[in-house]
Amino acid sequence: MSVRTQANAVLRLCYFNGLTPLWRTPVLIVAVFLTPFCFLFFLYVVAPHPLLPFGIVGGVMFTTLFTGNGMLNDCGYLRLERQLQQVFVASPMRPLSYVLGMALSELAFALPSMALFFAVLEVVTGFGAVAFAALLGVVALTWLMATSLGFMISTFFRQLREIWPIGTVVFSVLSVLPPLFYPIASIPAPWRWVAFFSPSTYAGQLADRAVGLPLPPIPTVPALGSPWVQFGALVTLTVLFGAASLRLARWREP
Amino acid sequence: MEALVAADLSKTYSGARGRVEALDRVSLSIAPGQLFAFLGRNGAGKTTFIKICSTLLIPTSGHAELFGLDVVERAREVRERIAIVPQEGRPFFHLTPREHVEEYLRVRGASGESARSRADEVLAAMGLRGFANEPAYRLSGGLQQRTLVAMILATEAPFLFLDEPTLGMDPFARRQVWQVIRHATQRGSTVLLTTHYLDEAEQLAQELAVIEGGHILYRGTPEALKSRVHREVRLQFDSGFTVPELRPYGEVFEERGRLTLLTTRSVVPELTRRALERERPIHVGPVTLEEAFLALVGRGIEDEVDPEGGP
Repeated sequence: MSVRTQANAVLRLCYFNGLTPLWRTPVLIVAVFLTPFCFLFFLYVVAPHPLLPFGIVGGVMFTTLFTGNGMLNDCGYLRLERQLQQVFVASPMRPLSYVLGMALSELAFALPSMALFFAVLEVVTGFGAVAFAALLGVVALTWLMATSLGFMISTFFRQLREIWPIGTVVFSVLSVLPPLFYPIASIPAPWRWVAFFSPSTYAGQLADRAVGLPLPPIPTVPALGSPWVQFGALVTLTVLFGAASLRLARWREP
Repeated sequence: MEALVAADLSKTYSGARGRVEALDRVSLSIAPGQLFAFLGRNGAGKTTFIKICSTLLIPTSGHAELFGLDVVERAREVRERIAIVPQEGRPFFHLTPREHVEEYLRVRGASGESARSRADEVLAAMGLRGFANEPAYRLSGGLQQRTLVAMILATEAPFLFLDEPTLGMDPFARRQVWQVIRHATQRGSTVLLTTHYLDEAEQLAQELAVIEGGHILYRGTPEALKSRVHREVRLQFDSGFTVPELRPYGEVFEERGRLTLLTTRSVVPELTRRALERERPIHVGPVTLEEAFLALVGRGIEDEVDPEGGP
């Protein structure tokens, strides 16, 4: 199959695994939006209002990271419950096309929620076109990293019931604990470096920077505060998770 | 060139219960355009064999070639030539049967127009036209299975792996699927079918292999397998008789509480009279593939394989 046919296969998979369920069960849009919105609402009520932009960026990043949880659950479901991954892997569709198609499906679920957060962010901060483009870049990388991670984790399990709690644990830890909904400045200066154990912190810091939110130094390991280091780390993690996903998509050892 | 050649194929799984040898040096070849059935009890190694040959699993040792292409080294090229109905597969929750067939064909590179016309053809042949636009979640289990089989058979791939394709279907639906499978081979596809329905293998397969404990016990035509049972008649007793009582009349097998006796025509009147005297049912019929399997393996095809390695 040519590159064009593979690209078509990716889009078809996104269409029937992502878009079709979305318009046949619109409540899915609400479900994706609800959790980050609840966090944001909670922050709005209890936190000082200058922190609100952090919460909105946090909503964007939370929604993006949770595409990984969707990927984990959907890929596990299609592989274990429906046995459909076999149908696609044992076909001319390449593993890369399958993983990309599934990842795009997850993006389709997240897009309405993301669009809403972007709109709110524009109203609150009035960020410009350059900031928007930079934020989109961070979102794209984070989406690729999260979905690759989700796919990779899904391949290690043989029971769907094992996957559900793992997904919630992994992606909640990645999206709630690190400084996404709150500024990293809230962490005592000597301990800020600890937040960088989470891959999502790199994405969150780059997103905050893209929108122009104030970022404090990381005194213990100053290099971690560098946007180039953060960008490099995010790209490296995305490539690592992506490569592992492709390897695991090719051969499914029971 | 053979469509499929497997040589000394072995697969060992390591798990909590230690190492399990699912396949032990299995060698098999299938000619192009043949409809080949692979029979065995659950856990005998059929699905492992199919997964290796369809590039889903790496063998522990040995090798397999599909149309001369090594399934491990040249998996990408092999995948261009195959399609698989996985065991206990289910279709996408939200999609209709028509969308399943059309979209899968388009994913495999078919144009919109050819996917549509092929979908029309296959859905009609599979008796799915009346349900073509119903989402899968509204369909019965049998219709969902038919949808999955339609999706794969529509591909007309040169090699079709069908792992228990008619599981859960009613007899009428099974016959419709058989027709479509026959058409696929008439059009040139090679089919490797696993099934627990021995009548299905008898109806469809030109050749078959029986696998037990990871070893191939038999390979040949269904007729030749039946002829290995040198008996004319099958008598079945649900109750009222014991193994020692029946043994003098022929070969006796006990399967899930039911006794099957393979014997000659001459003893039928006597045993029928005794069953009637005891007011017990007796079933009389010709020897089928089921009895041939029973005689070869020593257990019925529906009996589970003991994971501890027992009989």
